[in-house]
Amino acid sequence: MEIDRLDGRKANQLRPLACSRNILNRAHGSASWTQGDTKVLVAVYGPKAGTKKNENPEKACIEVIWKPKSGQIGKSEREYEMIVKRTLQSICILNINPNTTTSVIVQVINDDGALLPCAINAACAALVDAGIPLKHLAVAICCCLADSGYIILDPTKLEEQSMKAYAYLVFPNSILSVRPEGSLKVQGEPMEHGVITSGTQGAMSVDDYLNCLERGRAATAKMSTVLRRNLQPQIASDLSFGDAISRRDLSGMISQREFYGVILRLDLASASSTA
Amino acid sequence: METRLANSFRLTVNEKKFIETALQSDLRIDGRRPFDFRNISIKFSREEGSAEVQLGQTHVMAFVTAQLTQPYKDRPNEGTLSMFTEFSPMADPSFEPGRPSEAAVELGRVIDRGLRESRAVDTESLCVLSGKSVWAVRVDLHILDNGGNLVDAANIAALAALLTFRRPECSLGGEDGQQVIVHPPEVREPLPLIIHHLPIAVTFAFFSNESTVVVDPTHYEEAVMGGRMTATLNANNDICAIQKAGGEGVLQSVIMQCLRIAGQKAYDITTKIKNAVESYNTERALRKIKRHPSAVALDISGAGVNIGKNQNKPLKGDSERSNLTSEKSVTDQSMDIEGEAKSSEQQQTNKIDGDAKNFIGGPSSWDPYSAGVNSDFLKASLASRGMTMPSRKEQGSRGENMSGEAKPVDPPEDINVSSSNIEAAETVLRTNGERTLQDAEYLRLAYTGLAYFSLELTEVKCKVFRL
Repeated sequence: MEIDRLDGRKANQLRPLACSRNILNRAHGSASWTQGDTKVLVAVYGPKAGTKKNENPEKACIEVIWKPKSGQIGKSEREYEMIVKRTLQSICILNINPNTTTSVIVQVINDDGALLPCAINAACAALVDAGIPLKHLAVAICCCLADSGYIILDPTKLEEQSMKAYAYLVFPNSILSVRPEGSLKVQGEPMEHGVITSGTQGAMSVDDYLNCLERGRAATAKMSTVLRRNLQPQIASDLSFGDAISRRDLSGMISQREFYGVILRLDLASASSTA
Repeated sequence: METRLANSFRLTVNEKKFIETALQSDLRIDGRRPFDFRNISIKFSREEGSAEVQLGQTHVMAFVTAQLTQPYKDRPNEGTLSMFTEFSPMADPSFEPGRPSEAAVELGRVIDRGLRESRAVDTESLCVLSGKSVWAVRVDLHILDNGGNLVDAANIAALAALLTFRRPECSLGGEDGQQVIVHPPEVREPLPLIIHHLPIAVTFAFFSNESTVVVDPTHYEEAVMGGRMTATLNANNDICAIQKAGGEGVLQSVIMQCLRIAGQKAYDITTKIKNAVESYNTERALRKIKRHPSAVALDISGAGVNIGKNQNKPLKGDSERSNLTSEKSVTDQSMDIEGEAKSSEQQQTNKIDGDAKNFIGGPSSWDPYSAGVNSDFLKASLASRGMTMPSRKEQGSRGENMSGEAKPVDPPEDINVSSSNIEAAETVLRTNGERTLQDAEYLRLAYTGLAYFSLELTEVKCKVFRL
């Protein structure tokens, strides 16, 4: 049974994606991610010295601040902050810089459905832009369950509100590595079959949820190519340190952070070129 | 928190000395002259009332929303305008989330004073029901990147957002005429705010050596400066507000010189804002035909749809995403139905009966955009872009075309031609018994098109723009 979506997309079709990095000047890393009309801007500062009181000082700490487009900050913003923080904690390598805080500031520019997955994608790109060490990238997607049992991907706000239930899922980006194939599997399953974060709203049956997982994973393959492709072309300009230096007005030193960022992007480039 | 202090922006002594010494020879570190502004770029997003301003490296976004509330007791006939400033931590590592800092409060107050005290925004027109119900306009300013001179950038963003904001039209109804009915944008065209003039803030930074003054300081210069002054003026050289809170003492002659310079800068910036808003308004009007279906897409599937040839295409609600080519082919029709935005490449028209959306506002409002899209005007602009559309030229064949295919109307270049169009339309009306509603609407648009057609394009734009 075909579902007619309001904007004419098929059930499996995503909205047009756009990602741009290094938008802000003061922030150490910044990225904006657009899915259709939903647009989120994320800035990353870090690592900064010290951790907050209740955090483990033997690890790096991630702090997320969620800024809604307008209105007061309330409980739902706190919930988003917690979800993004836990997701990013699982992809960052936390032992490299102990006793530091990395701040991730999320600004919602427009909300037209699938807001949280959009923010997670943007945060991941911003972390790469800032050069924060990551284990792997993460891609997030939102799946909606219609009354008929049909699953549609990447809903708009109207669709989200009218559907029976929806789930947002975050999957690890597939790793392109020079290491042998076997080492990429975790307990016999390929690594990209794992789920980093999953949240649902509304009631759905177990089978429906597993269907969502399957569909979401297939779709994130496309998203991860977009993400990877976006991270690549900047490498030509990143390779020249002169460029990096000219970006800073007065201080001629390139920080360790930017250096790390270049190395990380070189990694991605070489990894995908061997693929 | 000590950890926060470790992240605040500190300039070294060498850097400070460098900036000051360079200023003594009238050199600024980014190569500007002392009284040059940085490049201003104003962008709007698709929804109304949101503006993004970049002043050099400073990046500010403004969002305007409006709600119906009760008025203040001492001003029962006036609406309210309130500013909320957010110094987001993404702008500067030293901005902390939570309570707004002094600088944030000061920025909000300066911009608010410039708009409110000078009566730039007309609050009396925001009154719906005296003493009971007025519009409360709220401006949210998000500082995204602090490259210095946040006040000026935020002021421009707030003005641009207020100029492009549209509030829903509402009327009084109910049994006793006391109930306020808010019309959704699909039914009645939303109205812009009445803004009498544009107060522009210009910030000066004073340095301790020999009364050096610069305009539009960057954040490096702000860290070095001894004092600052913000003068809010409009293009008529009226001073709306002056803010000099502490800092270095400055000679009177320097202040007068600054005010003169501020006058010139205010005039330049006003023209830039007006140009940006104008081009946004024209672009929005061209898109307006397609704005309706995205909102009424849910109704169309239920109502009786008179679809010409493509029955199976689901209605494309949000056709704003369609690219420019499909936009052009959509504006063939005098109606606002766009579902076939994508399919109109095949020159099909979908006619939906009982569509009263184009009859917006009365003849009393001379705003050509609120009268529904002027099909002739659009076709003229399309023709001037050189789009080739098949069977566009014949006027005589319009009779047959009206009944089924895309309506090829040659944009009449002068009044004589357009009057013959109207005659042709009238004959069609008489001959074609069915589809009378659509013909009537076409006639109406053609008549309004007559009036506007004799004007130059720029004149039409000036009418829309209420400044």
